[in-house]
Amino acid sequence: MSPPSFLTGNQAIAEGAIAAGCRFYAGYPITPSSEIAEVLSGRLPEVGGVFVQMEDEIASIGAVVGASLGGLKAATATSGPGFSLMQENIGFAVATEIPCVIVDVQRVGPSTGLPTKVAQGDIMQARWGTHGDHPIIAIYPSSVQECFDLTVRAFDLAERFRTPVMLLSDAVVAGLREQVEVRTISRPAVRSGPGVEPAVYRPFDYSGDRPPPLAPFGTGYRYHVTGLIHDERGAPTEDPALVARWWQYMRRKLDAHLDEILDWEERSLEDADTVVVAYGCTARAAAHAVDLARDEGVPAGLLTLRTIWPFPDAVIDRLADRASRFVVAELNLGQVRAEVERVVRGRAEVAGLHRTDGLQLSPVQIVAELSSKRPVA
Amino acid sequence: MTTTPVRDHVWSVLHDAFEHVAARHGEPVVLSSLAHGLGPGHPHTRYGFVLGPPGRLVAMAVGLRAALPRSPLVLVGATDAFTIGTNHLIHAARRNIGMTLVLLRADVFDAGESVMLDRAEPARASVAADIAPRPSPLAWAAALGATFVARASLRAPAELADLLDEAVTAGGFSVVGVTNDASLPTGVQSRQEWPEFFGTYRAWSDSLPRTRTRRPGPGAPRPPDDAPARVEVRIAGVGGQGIKLGGTVLSEAAGAQGLWATQIGDYGAATRGGASSVDVVFGSRPITYPGADHPDVRVDLSQAAADVADVAAQVLVADDRLTAADSALVLPLVAIARERTGGQLSAGIVSLGAIAAITGWPSIDALAGVASRKVPERVAAANVAAMREAYDLTGRILEGRR
Repeated sequence: MSPPSFLTGNQAIAEGAIAAGCRFYAGYPITPSSEIAEVLSGRLPEVGGVFVQMEDEIASIGAVVGASLGGLKAATATSGPGFSLMQENIGFAVATEIPCVIVDVQRVGPSTGLPTKVAQGDIMQARWGTHGDHPIIAIYPSSVQECFDLTVRAFDLAERFRTPVMLLSDAVVAGLREQVEVRTISRPAVRSGPGVEPAVYRPFDYSGDRPPPLAPFGTGYRYHVTGLIHDERGAPTEDPALVARWWQYMRRKLDAHLDEILDWEERSLEDADTVVVAYGCTARAAAHAVDLARDEGVPAGLLTLRTIWPFPDAVIDRLADRASRFVVAELNLGQVRAEVERVVRGRAEVAGLHRTDGLQLSPVQIVAELSSKRPVA
Repeated sequence: MTTTPVRDHVWSVLHDAFEHVAARHGEPVVLSSLAHGLGPGHPHTRYGFVLGPPGRLVAMAVGLRAALPRSPLVLVGATDAFTIGTNHLIHAARRNIGMTLVLLRADVFDAGESVMLDRAEPARASVAADIAPRPSPLAWAAALGATFVARASLRAPAELADLLDEAVTAGGFSVVGVTNDASLPTGVQSRQEWPEFFGTYRAWSDSLPRTRTRRPGPGAPRPPDDAPARVEVRIAGVGGQGIKLGGTVLSEAAGAQGLWATQIGDYGAATRGGASSVDVVFGSRPITYPGADHPDVRVDLSQAAADVADVAAQVLVADDRLTAADSALVLPLVAIARERTGGQLSAGIVSLGAIAAITGWPSIDALAGVASRKVPERVAAANVAAMREAYDLTGRILEGRR
């Protein structure tokens, strides 16, 4: 364990990747994510890994998928415009169950938007950016310590569930510099074999609720990898019964393990009548706002989401039974608010505090919303 | 999944060639956007096989090559299979990334298959002559610097296998065209010798020291009993005034005294002289919101910053060159920086002396200690002296006000 030192959020993500065993990074620079690439271009060769700057973001995610198939833990980082370009091969990685980590440091979009002011507008892109009803995991740190810790977690989840994991960040968390304990955990840098003879290895076994380990290519395991829906050996299939089983498995492999995936933090929620829901940089302002509101006698609390997808329905559901009001604070026009409304189902008022002008929500703005009179029923 | 008999024949010939390569180089990984051709129900392939999006396979092969330094990587496609993502192909070729492209010429497919690049022609011959000279992928590959370029024929499977083996042996980016047209010559077309990308990368990275010790941090925050709960500081000016560095020294000095601290900024580039500002928040409690929306001290180093200094700062500090609010504590911060260090690059550091005199935290000695590490050695002493001068001057002025 090393004592805390000061790092930015981006630097902590890079150090977290090294600690998680990431040994391959392919990317194309884009603010506000570029510092992650900058740090890894120095750190990866020091630990025997490979950093490669690719010709674009499409190539970056392609190379990440290839490296992961070859047995390396692999990642890329980008911002909204690059994240859009990556969606094709993110879908390929979902369909073929190839683990990888994609960092999206959000700025205002669409398109070039406001380079490079802060936004949280890619929440739904992280969920549905590629096509099809695929499962996905997206997690979101709000501090530099969480940038480190959740990056390690992102790689662990990607390996365990053989899925791309979206590690969301934003321009504020990326540039925020604060104390962080760079833990001396270290995960294996090379994926171990599946533990069964090649002859009986079923790389896409979908009989259970967890994926089998992915055997690296080049180690005697020869199998077929395709974005076509496939049988358990990897051969394409259009057999409706098999296709249905594949879909059931793809849903089950995350839904059956929400206890391992969902992660959140509660602040002053024990007796809260108003629940603020926030994430990323907005959670920092919201925490300050809740403290200020409590000082004024307003019974407010904060739910900080660290797992965004799958959405923590059960957590919101539990709170909706006893709170009378939710305030969702986010730097978009209501992407998470709509999810909260879906779960709350009218049991409590759901208000949104939204901002998309490139500036953060301030604690004062949030306090004003918390202290405001509720509409008369 | 339907496969034509001709395509199955192609795969059959290629498979024998892959076996030949495997015997000499180890099992290959094959990537293609064309269906495998071994037929439905085939239990598993005899080599690692990726059936993926056309063109993107080149990028995937780049990652595979990084992970598998020695495995033969073979990409199989019709010559138009790489027109989606030709940029990937160009970059892989120009970097000499070790992979072998097997380019199937249109004539190996049945007539009526998808239109292939090397036989697409406008309907009118006169137009074709004017605008569509027959493309030559192999000449193009040679021009890109491919390590090895050859043409093989389906009609000569043994030669095809040998040429594929030579392409893999060459070690870099290589191309083997495959035709079924008996009139075309086969054999090696060009060779160029230069180092493979990841081989060179690994030789370089292997020469680096494998361990780097991290400089230990100041330890977990253990705030002193008399530390303030939360202090907000904003320094605003233009790029080139060392504002980001000032924020770094301030936050780390607070950390060195056992406080929690955050730094966040909007940093202008020195060359552009754009607006630049930093917010530092420190105190005895973990910092929630890192913004200094209601600063205990705000320092303005440029007129633009002073003009918008509308926040209700507890103490407003302005450089003496500026037209500032009446309430501002006016200090010659830039002048001290220029006098001591020859420029205004250290104005941010000088400001810290004033901040320490006003808030009492962090101590001037803690600031000096961090500054002497963070400021380039050549000017560190001058910066620390300038910061101490601002500290002493501010202290005298505050003393005079009491």
